[in-house]
Amino acid sequence: MTTTTNAPAGTATPVLGAGVTRVDGPLKVTGAVPYADDLAPRDALVGVLVGSTIAAGQISLVDASDALAAPGVVAVISHHDAPSVVRPNEASADERAPRPPFQDATVRFHGDHVAMVVAQTREEAVHAATLLHVSYDVSEPVVDLNDPRATREDDDPAGADSTRGDLERGLAEADVVVAADYVTGDNTNNPIGLFAACAEWDGESLHMWATTQWPSNTADCLAEAWGVPREDVRVECPYLGGGFGSGLRPWPYIHAAAIAAKVVGRPVRVVLSRPQMFTDVGHRPETVQHVRLGARRDGTLTAVEHTATIPVAVDDDNPENVVSGTRQGYAVEHLRADVDQVRLHISPPGSMRAPGEAQGNFALETALDELAVELDIDPVRLRLHNDATTNPDQDDLPWSSKALDQCLRRGAELIGWDDRDPAPRSMRDGDQLIGYGVAAVSFFYFQQPCTVRVVVRRDGTAAVHCAAMDIGTGTYTVVTQVAAERLGLGLGDVEVVLGDSSLPPSPPAGGSGLATAISNAVALAVTAVLDDLDLSGAPGRDALSRAVGARDEVAAEATAEPPDPAEMGMSPSGAFGAKFARVRVDADLGLVRVERLVSVIDCGQVLNERTARSQVIGGAVGGIGHALLEHTVTDLHAGPQTGRITNAHMADYLIAVNADVPDLEVEFVGGPDRLNPVGVKGVGEVGLCGVAAAIGNAVFHATGRRVRRLPITPDLLL
Amino acid sequence: MHPFTYTRVDDVEAASAAVTTDAVSRAVQGPDDTVFIAGGTTQLDLMRDGVWSPGTLVDVSRLPLADVELDEDTLVVGAAVTMADLARHEAVADLDVLRDSLLLAASPQLRSMATVGGNVLQRTRCRYFRDPEVTQCNKRRPGSGCAAIEGTARTHAVLGVDAGCIAVHASDLAVALVTLDARVRLHGPDGGRTIPVADLHVRADVDPARDNVLAAGELVTHLEIPVPDARTGYLKVRDRASYEFALTSAAVVARVEDGILAHVAVGLGGVGSVPWRATRAEEVLRGQRASLALFEQAAAAELADAFTVPGTDFKPELARRTLVRQLRDVTEVTA
Repeated sequence: MTTTTNAPAGTATPVLGAGVTRVDGPLKVTGAVPYADDLAPRDALVGVLVGSTIAAGQISLVDASDALAAPGVVAVISHHDAPSVVRPNEASADERAPRPPFQDATVRFHGDHVAMVVAQTREEAVHAATLLHVSYDVSEPVVDLNDPRATREDDDPAGADSTRGDLERGLAEADVVVAADYVTGDNTNNPIGLFAACAEWDGESLHMWATTQWPSNTADCLAEAWGVPREDVRVECPYLGGGFGSGLRPWPYIHAAAIAAKVVGRPVRVVLSRPQMFTDVGHRPETVQHVRLGARRDGTLTAVEHTATIPVAVDDDNPENVVSGTRQGYAVEHLRADVDQVRLHISPPGSMRAPGEAQGNFALETALDELAVELDIDPVRLRLHNDATTNPDQDDLPWSSKALDQCLRRGAELIGWDDRDPAPRSMRDGDQLIGYGVAAVSFFYFQQPCTVRVVVRRDGTAAVHCAAMDIGTGTYTVVTQVAAERLGLGLGDVEVVLGDSSLPPSPPAGGSGLATAISNAVALAVTAVLDDLDLSGAPGRDALSRAVGARDEVAAEATAEPPDPAEMGMSPSGAFGAKFARVRVDADLGLVRVERLVSVIDCGQVLNERTARSQVIGGAVGGIGHALLEHTVTDLHAGPQTGRITNAHMADYLIAVNADVPDLEVEFVGGPDRLNPVGVKGVGEVGLCGVAAAIGNAVFHATGRRVRRLPITPDLLL
Repeated sequence: MHPFTYTRVDDVEAASAAVTTDAVSRAVQGPDDTVFIAGGTTQLDLMRDGVWSPGTLVDVSRLPLADVELDEDTLVVGAAVTMADLARHEAVADLDVLRDSLLLAASPQLRSMATVGGNVLQRTRCRYFRDPEVTQCNKRRPGSGCAAIEGTARTHAVLGVDAGCIAVHASDLAVALVTLDARVRLHGPDGGRTIPVADLHVRADVDPARDNVLAAGELVTHLEIPVPDARTGYLKVRDRASYEFALTSAAVVARVEDGILAHVAVGLGGVGSVPWRATRAEEVLRGQRASLALFEQAAAAELADAFTVPGTDFKPELARRTLVRQLRDVTEVTA
């Protein structure tokens, strides 16, 4: 458990929206932040996971004799000797959690866990792992999305499929139809902080320090796995070194630490290696998509068809909705959206910043650009013309807030859209072709209940307790702000305690949903505690202190529940955004460099302009990587396929570096959302979406070449 | 990483005496081998990946080989000089091809650790070589084949290779060095010798299991770099704007007199199993009137016999364009 008390105390002033600095900033920049692994008992043994070298088959033999004889080795654990644990379900979703390791002899993907070496030191464990001899009965794996042998799940496991109107009729009404296939490559989240877990058993009670974006769910799943009461499991993770979705699920390495600690009867730490970060904690699955758009000559969309094929692991659930943005993005009467999953012997895909939407947006917004060219209509005007003022995907209910039109207009203004020559390959500076591109984003809405406890102490200061995680996005800071404002306290008078499953339960730090959930829960809990104290308004420290009187403290809990849209008579909005890119493409060498990237975002009430802006900037950097660089490559070379990833290193898996990123321009438009009292919409993922399509469309404008594949690399432009 | 012994030596004689096998020249090192370590930026990666498992490391990073001197028209650079220190040395301020080959390589952190001696001896980035799990690799297991030719080969070589191995030599600096006719001073148990950098490496189509010609105990002590009376330049093409090896690169040294290429030297990076001196292109260029058409012709000649696989089929074209661009920019020819 960690507290943040370093922000200045002082007179209460309105702080919402203000760009106050992060309350945990000094801890971060001085290296004092306790990450999960820093809290692990120092006498913990070290476990190193051993991955399979095949993609499918059965383990026939684990010969541990040499490994056990190596210096420092305490145990080697495999399916032969691991205790049985139940495969849990994700706490709040209708899906199976990842399979705990060492439960059977089956290998389901390259890198699947076959054993674990536990030793006194990491060096000893790593070395002994190389001495382990594992034999397999190898099966023929299916690792290619286009392999006809793969099992196709077409019964809508992602909950993505939708039909409205009559697609054929819509196409018949069209003057122009464009249709194309789009491919996006597999990406890996690659937070810089390597994921870690340490388990310590005290009888039947389990204490874990583990990298997670969702302590509540991790604890729920561990309790279910071991059949122990939930209150006997505690998961702590006050800070992590980046997540981007890879910390949302209770991955096998977390179970492995618990299993090993049980076997050896001592605390055991597991820290993943960088290559293991490619196979152990999810990845953004590749997609093959087809988009067909029909429109009248004036630009009115008459039909939209968007289908996608994405891989899923052979024994896992990953409801990744590639078409959510298409379903709600534009006012079109006739639509068919369909996602099929194909089962492959690959490591389980999972959420990576803007799961589904990142890939689907690229296809839809590229197709719209192609339609604009075909119709000879300005791409910004085409989007404005088809702007959905009600949600076509939810009974045409009015949005709880939507300012996409403002996003598009303001973005066009900022980048100088109307000053460009719209003809493809018309703008040039020496060897460099210059191009402008736009994409719009209609991000999905995601909310789950969140419970918060607010404590007012005798001295009038307050504390906020919640199991939620701050994944570096500013949760500590905005919770401090919301509580301080509503209690009439200075920021330094509010202590925020997060990242501990023993605190009131929270939703994940994911789906761009936490800021909304937790800020509204804080607002409700403050109201509750003020009621208990017979106070109202924002009373301030003196009034709070007087009301607490002789008691040590007064506390209240409250839960923010997602409202019922029908009852509210409106459709809950996620964030909206418009992205504008100006690129330079070397006419001979095909090198694409992003020169300007403008993001205009409608995220409702901005809780903190500084951290919100950072979120959008970070998303934009991820978007540049998605567009031009990032690609996890599975070895498809002939002969026995292994499903091995060929670039599972930071030198070979290219994320954007500073030199790839121009000054990023960010503006916020719109106002508070009507659905929740604080007026917030999440901003965690909208920053990434649309960047790839805006860059791709700019590459088309620069070169006249349409690249329907990510990443867009020089060899595709020669 | 396998256990190993670490020792440090204080003079060159002791260094040469400590290394009694030819492991430094081989593509792989085993527990019976004693090898040098300097900056460690390649050595430690390969040891962590389990590709190399030398029994003993002899640290040569503190040998008195860290000076840069200008001896008439030749730069003499100690092998232990870091890439960062050479790049910011005043002696290379106007030698664009050398300076840029250093500054466009790796990252600031790596350039501050890596030595120039180690740089020219760096090993291929081929991920099939660098993963001992891959059974087909003629570098690691002679005769086993090459997994890369049907695999992920976007960063692989098309010159000096055949179906037995398409590993690229990824050094930028070494491309500049071969283009500048640089030499490398070696010290061995039997004394010293100096050879052209162009003769240091072994082509993959000659012997993939051997990376260089160093004999047992031979240590790179200095680079000798003639400073040409010519304009120079280095162009590096890569997906990422920084911290990435070249897809293709071109080093050009040229002096144009009355429109004629009086002196020209050309090197290519990212395409060769060794730092590639483009002698065929030079034959086309030398003594001719500089023009874009001539540059096209020279580049085409150099890449005419490129060996490609599906993953590398774009590289000859990209290499041609890279070379033409850099010839144009160094000579400032406009037509």
